[in-house]
Amino acid sequence: MRVIVRGTQLLLPDGLSASGAADALASEIPIVTQRAHVLERTFWDSFDGRVHAAGLALIDSAGGLSLADATTYAEVARGAKLGRAQRVLVDDLPPGDLRAQLEPLLEMRALTPIARVRSRMLPIGVLDDEGKTVVRLRVEEASTRLDSETSTALRPRLHLTGVRGYDDELERLRALLVGSLGLTEAVRPVQDDAVAAAGGTPGGISSKLRVKLRAEQRADGAAVVVLRDLLTTIEVNLPGTLADVDSEFLHDLRVSVRRTRALQRELSKVFPPEPLRCFRDDFKELQQVTGPTRDLDVQLLEFGELERDLPATSAPDVAPLRTLLADHRSAEQRKMVRALRSEPVRVVLRDWSAFLEDLTDAPTTDRPDAARPIGDVAGHRIAKVYKRMVKMGRAIDDASPHEALHDLRKQGKELRYLLEFFSSLYPADVVKPMVGSLKSLQDVLGRFQDCEVQADQLRSLGDEVAALDGGAAALMAMGVLVERLRDDQHTARDQFAERFARFATAEQREIVKRTFT
Amino acid sequence: MTTVIASYNIKGGVGKTSAAINLAALAAASGERVLLWDLDPQGAATFMLRVKPKIKGGGRKLVNGKNDAAPLIKGSDYERLDLLPADFSYRNMDLALDATKRPTRRLAAVLAPLASDYDYVFLDCPPAISLASESIFGAADVLLVPLIASPLSLRTFAQLQRFIAEEVRDGPRILAFFSMTDGRKRLHRELIAELSATHEEVLRTAIPAASDVEQMAVHRGPVSDFAAHGRAGRAYAALWAELRARIDPAGGAAIPRGETATRA
Repeated sequence: MRVIVRGTQLLLPDGLSASGAADALASEIPIVTQRAHVLERTFWDSFDGRVHAAGLALIDSAGGLSLADATTYAEVARGAKLGRAQRVLVDDLPPGDLRAQLEPLLEMRALTPIARVRSRMLPIGVLDDEGKTVVRLRVEEASTRLDSETSTALRPRLHLTGVRGYDDELERLRALLVGSLGLTEAVRPVQDDAVAAAGGTPGGISSKLRVKLRAEQRADGAAVVVLRDLLTTIEVNLPGTLADVDSEFLHDLRVSVRRTRALQRELSKVFPPEPLRCFRDDFKELQQVTGPTRDLDVQLLEFGELERDLPATSAPDVAPLRTLLADHRSAEQRKMVRALRSEPVRVVLRDWSAFLEDLTDAPTTDRPDAARPIGDVAGHRIAKVYKRMVKMGRAIDDASPHEALHDLRKQGKELRYLLEFFSSLYPADVVKPMVGSLKSLQDVLGRFQDCEVQADQLRSLGDEVAALDGGAAALMAMGVLVERLRDDQHTARDQFAERFARFATAEQREIVKRTFT
Repeated sequence: MTTVIASYNIKGGVGKTSAAINLAALAAASGERVLLWDLDPQGAATFMLRVKPKIKGGGRKLVNGKNDAAPLIKGSDYERLDLLPADFSYRNMDLALDATKRPTRRLAAVLAPLASDYDYVFLDCPPAISLASESIFGAADVLLVPLIASPLSLRTFAQLQRFIAEEVRDGPRILAFFSMTDGRKRLHRELIAELSATHEEVLRTAIPAASDVEQMAVHRGPVSDFAAHGRAGRAYAALWAELRARIDPAGGAAIPRGETATRA
């Protein structure tokens, strides 16, 4: 059960200490001050702040690990202390309520310490005329450790916790504190203050593209806005990729590289041709060096699902395959880290940043779309890719080679990215349903291709698996899996026609014609 | 699941309220979410927890289901211990219950919506045997009976046991303990030793007649608040440990020594 605690947090005015606050209160209302105690807490979250987004805080302290409401700290679940670990995956936690609560939130994302906070808490009871506590207060004087040697003080705050049945007293006290004593409402909890004090972003860093464009904006300027956002995502995900914190750093980095490449292609005429050619090659290479590790990440992440596809008696047989995949992944990851740490990659990111910085000031003679309004350029590209997809999709029949579906999927990704980049230029009621039908088509095309890729990969590992202990049984189980993947691929292909028809209805074509011109 | 424990005796002045408050505070201090319902119109438990003995709408509307209990509950000075206060109108509880359809199920019905909020509900019951008592028997999982070490008091206890066995369907489990004992009196010592050895329903822990218990009304709080390590304080801690172990043998580990309720 979630405990509902009526409460609020107020910030003390500058220069007022805990004892000063207690004195100021005592002159206004009957209070009883209790003994102060010190609380050392380490707050944990994923890089993208999933615990925070759920309104929770994961707190490691002497008392253990606690999942609690982010503001009131009312406990939701409890587990054993994390101790010295610096990175924890949900699978590393012992089974129990805490893990069960965190699993759906975190999925594959790792937890890392985001703030270390030391708080001196001074509890104060506000009494009524019977001498009974009707509101509980705690003055918190907190500091956060920035590194092993330095720490910084955070603004003292006052926690007000209501006592059940005394809501009016809580409200009266709050009004007194704000009105007469000059306290202000705390807009965020102490752990967010601590993250901000250390230069971080409270709530974590999202890899979602969030840009706002105007239709009349110059196309090169709009491209720079989008590309800078993507470059930031690449840069912030690079350290986690190198340190192998979890699989999503690499995933988000690769998505941003792919989006960058899509924009380089689709808006090619806003860039000078020669530098663009070089950067396109560079980003292509960045995509390639990160590819094998990601492919193996996907296989390992989906391994559980593959196992579930096997009859219960054969599921344990594929264990050698998992070990082999993990070994391959380690080797590929090391190779990738070497490549990403190399001078050329650093130079590419630095030069790309400088190039974007200067782009809008560069001459437009060799970039005909640069000064056109982005509304025109983007609309034209969206309409063109959509039309191309309709044409390609219509040409696909039962006899078409697999490549025809793969090519259509690539165009689908291109269209999806364009709609994401430029969604702020168009009405949501046009973009949303269009993205919906495109996503549903892409799901089928994606499954069609993934089944093929996975089956090919399994086949390619056959010889190696056969040479392992228990290899024969693993090989037989893999045979079942390949068969299963082929069935799934057939199913996906059967669903294609219906999904494509929804994507390319006469009504949808008309909307595209009308909106994206 | 909530366990409802009624501190009950037909007789007054046997330590019902002291037991209800002290055990409720110890349960809360050990991490349980506890509600104490002061059903006695005298409101001694309510007074000792420093709450005004009044509920909005009065007892009648509460027992006949017109008013919910939840908004009437007051937090105490002790973490996890809440109080449903007494009200002077409880003196007419029998009349209020008599006007309802199934009077012996009414108190259980009042508590039902609170089941997910509390691990334990303690009922501090008024003395007497009446319709209200029968409704208490219908709501309680455990009837905890403080016994005075006298032959007369034991006879009354036997009557109560018989009444519940014969008249109350699915009645509560009855557990008793000796209250207000005087270790200097041979009769007390002999009765306690004999009954707790021969009667499974009599707990081994006895609560002494100690001035700390009387002091509760002065300090306005449980013994654990001001004399946790005195004779009475230790006895209540032992009684709670024994009671909890009897109610839930699997999870009923003794509470750690020195664990006391402190005003939060």
